[in-house]
Amino acid sequence: MSSKDDLPAFSRRDFLKTAGVGSLATAVTTATDAEAQTQGAAGARVLGPGDVPVTLTVNGKRVQLQIEPRVTLLDALRNRADLTGNKRVCDRGSCGACTMIVDGRTVYACSTLAIDVQDKQIRTVDGFAQGDRLHPVQQAFCDVDALMCGFCTPGFVVATVALLEKYPNATVEQAKRELDGNICRCGTFVRVFEAAMKAKTMMGGARG
Amino acid sequence: MAKYSWPEKPTILSTPVKRLDGPDKVSGRAKYTYDINRPGMIYGRIVRSPYPHAKITSIDVSAAEKAPGVKAVLEYRKAGDEVLYQGDPVAAVAADTEERARDAARLVRVRWEPLPHVSNETLAMNADAAKWNTAQANTRAGQRQETGDLDAGFKQAAHVVEQTYSTHVITHVCLETHGTVCEWDGDKLTAWVTTQAVHQCAQGYAQTLKIPQANVRVITQYMGGGFGSKFAPDSQGIICAQLAKKAGAPVKLMLDRKEEHLDTGNRPSAFAHIKAGVSSDGKLTAFDGQSWGTGGAGAGSQFPLPYLYQFPNRRRAHTDVYINAGQQRAMRAPGHPQGCYLTEILMDELADRVKMDPVEFRVKNAPALAPNAQYQKYFVEGAKRFGWDKRHPTGDSARGPIKTGMGVSAHLWGGGGRGSQAHIDINPDGTVVVKCGTQDIGTGTRTLVAMVAAETLGLPVSGVTPQIGDTQYPFSGGSGGSTTAASVMPAIRVVSIDALDKLFEKVAPQLGATPADLAAEGGKILVKANPSRSLAWKDACKLLGTEPISVNGQWQDGLSSTGTSGVQFAEVTVDVETGIVRIKRILAIQDCGLIVDKLTAESQVYGGVIAAINFALFEDRLLDRVTGQMVNPNMEMYLLAGMSDVPQIDVDLRNMPERGVIGIGEPPTVSTASAIANAVRNATGATIRSLPLHPHKVLAAIEQERAGGTI
Repeated sequence: MSSKDDLPAFSRRDFLKTAGVGSLATAVTTATDAEAQTQGAAGARVLGPGDVPVTLTVNGKRVQLQIEPRVTLLDALRNRADLTGNKRVCDRGSCGACTMIVDGRTVYACSTLAIDVQDKQIRTVDGFAQGDRLHPVQQAFCDVDALMCGFCTPGFVVATVALLEKYPNATVEQAKRELDGNICRCGTFVRVFEAAMKAKTMMGGARG
Repeated sequence: MAKYSWPEKPTILSTPVKRLDGPDKVSGRAKYTYDINRPGMIYGRIVRSPYPHAKITSIDVSAAEKAPGVKAVLEYRKAGDEVLYQGDPVAAVAADTEERARDAARLVRVRWEPLPHVSNETLAMNADAAKWNTAQANTRAGQRQETGDLDAGFKQAAHVVEQTYSTHVITHVCLETHGTVCEWDGDKLTAWVTTQAVHQCAQGYAQTLKIPQANVRVITQYMGGGFGSKFAPDSQGIICAQLAKKAGAPVKLMLDRKEEHLDTGNRPSAFAHIKAGVSSDGKLTAFDGQSWGTGGAGAGSQFPLPYLYQFPNRRRAHTDVYINAGQQRAMRAPGHPQGCYLTEILMDELADRVKMDPVEFRVKNAPALAPNAQYQKYFVEGAKRFGWDKRHPTGDSARGPIKTGMGVSAHLWGGGGRGSQAHIDINPDGTVVVKCGTQDIGTGTRTLVAMVAAETLGLPVSGVTPQIGDTQYPFSGGSGGSTTAASVMPAIRVVSIDALDKLFEKVAPQLGATPADLAAEGGKILVKANPSRSLAWKDACKLLGTEPISVNGQWQDGLSSTGTSGVQFAEVTVDVETGIVRIKRILAIQDCGLIVDKLTAESQVYGGVIAAINFALFEDRLLDRVTGQMVNPNMEMYLLAGMSDVPQIDVDLRNMPERGVIGIGEPPTVSTASAIANAVRNATGATIRSLPLHPHKVLAAIEQERAGGTI
């Protein structure tokens, strides 16, 4: 993992300051010269609008990318790292298909900038199975047919893993609430819920 | 006995078998069209009309062409063209990143002359209405049907109900938006398309691009929902291929959520002004309906009316209405949810007039009992299972704001199939590969193909490799009309039986028997009269030497049929202070002929019911009447059910192996909304004659009921 010094650790005040200077800097430097802009005028940090180096830690592995600062976590992984497990569906944080776990919390990766999660542990659906051995949540989804077209499934799988890590003995109410941020259009909800409860038992949680 | 039939005692068919591609889907390994990343691939983006109706004055792409990363720009329409809905495609760009493609699309300068528009049916039918299209009227007279003697029918009626009923427009909201990845190799095109019809798509590309169909390969290994909206390459598929040609690079062009709402189809609206009569003993006597509806810009609305029930004397006159909105496409049981709702609400109103229980009333007026019309049976059995005897008369008299009610509804669907081809290879090493150019749209087709071959060859499901979703495989039709299983499975059964016969010929001498004496069971080829004389499957296949058994075949009559019936019950609570409807439970009784995979067939029923809950309570395409713009082209204001909105759903799936395969994708979604609406009526005592059952409409109906009556 890269050291903290390499990372753009700017405060809100820095941002406000550089946002103004940034537009000026853009006018006098080439748009793609990321290095020059990172230095910025008077030493202020300005990132972009051209490509900048971004290092992510995804499923325990380092991923180094050259991307524009505006690129979302979802698009960075799907378009630049070929990690296509998590899906883009609504692209504005309302359906949950892109759900990833960042430092233990679920996030909508479509509404998270890649550049903002450089020093964090990112987990995607691509990282749960060990070779052919599925995570208990994934196995439970297969066992009870908690998927049809499968396009919402990665988001539901991640959300269910997060649910059971947060509440190993999740109640019906907790499970429903934690999974309420995900939309399925084929209508798998009944069996997704069944899968969540089955996975809870498989992972050693209380029955019922 | 016919050469081709289904086994009398199946070991795999009709049992719950987990879908074979489940592990790929849950682990993210499954590659959908959206996930295809090709070497050197760039990204396409379409420029669309922001106006519901306008004339293009000029298109200037020069700034877009000079934008960073741009590799191709396309003028899809030209100056002078008329655009007819918000989202009508006009131009397109391709650039090295998606972000830059979006930037460049914004640089395409289109000058418009906005024209007057119409954004709903009522406005469009006004005498002085603006025209949706400068060259065409807003309405077109549709079908006219008349049966029996309408006057005599109304004379027999003891009661007459005359009301207007309607359903709204919803969009498909496929989670994987429409789109393609197109890659040219010289004059040959490979297109990864999120489609319900690989072969039909290839034909569409060939015809539109004027290239030989043999030069087009369409691939759809996984697809994220279509529901009737994904059969053709569409504008985005053609634009993608043209951009790829122009740029000399593979192009990915996936629509965004807003485009998906605006330009990939919708379920048309349905309206009907109905006058219907019932005799004093509860027999339907007459139905007179004027219906209309819109399927958007130049597309009408078709739905059956009256639905299902037997009106001996009936007349219907229909008018198609055109408005400035994206065109309709088939959507899960096209026409039926609308026709069902218009009729089923009326049925409960008529039942109340003759003071009959809605179930009893329906039994009396349902089609005669037949293999494809089990209504009379399902109504009675369902009522018993659901606890219908605890249903109170219209209007819950319980104290407090929460009222409870029950409703019932029924539906029919055709299904059935034909025309599919298939190929099977039994290899000398014992491996079996079945190829069919169908596609798995989430229904489980891939798994079903393996199940049918495995059942026939006496192998476990894992012993068969199904290969589908590619035009390199034998022709199969589009997945629409609930026809996939009934089209494909007979073809798989036929080629498997034919291939097994060839294997029997090879094996018979070894077992000292004739081919007719042999059977394939439990991974063995054995002599039926003396099962201890057998060869393991692998050893039997070794006798093939170097030459595999390869058989082509096609769908044959006798393994499938058409016609399904279903009945659904719903129990709801309604908060009469907020108008919020919550569903407590639903019972769905459904048949589909021979159940192939019990697990995935049940999932289809759950899915159909949940889709209809959305139709009844949540989703609604809202067009602003002043601007003609869709106000909710997203997934936060276009409401869809989440986990907490889904009630207890009991699926009662009836297996009828003697009827062969029929299909189940669509029927379970037809009658749920009507059962819910009738349950709301039973709870509140107020009749809401239009979907969706949004709180403000529920409250308005309750107000109206208190003020003088909706019934």
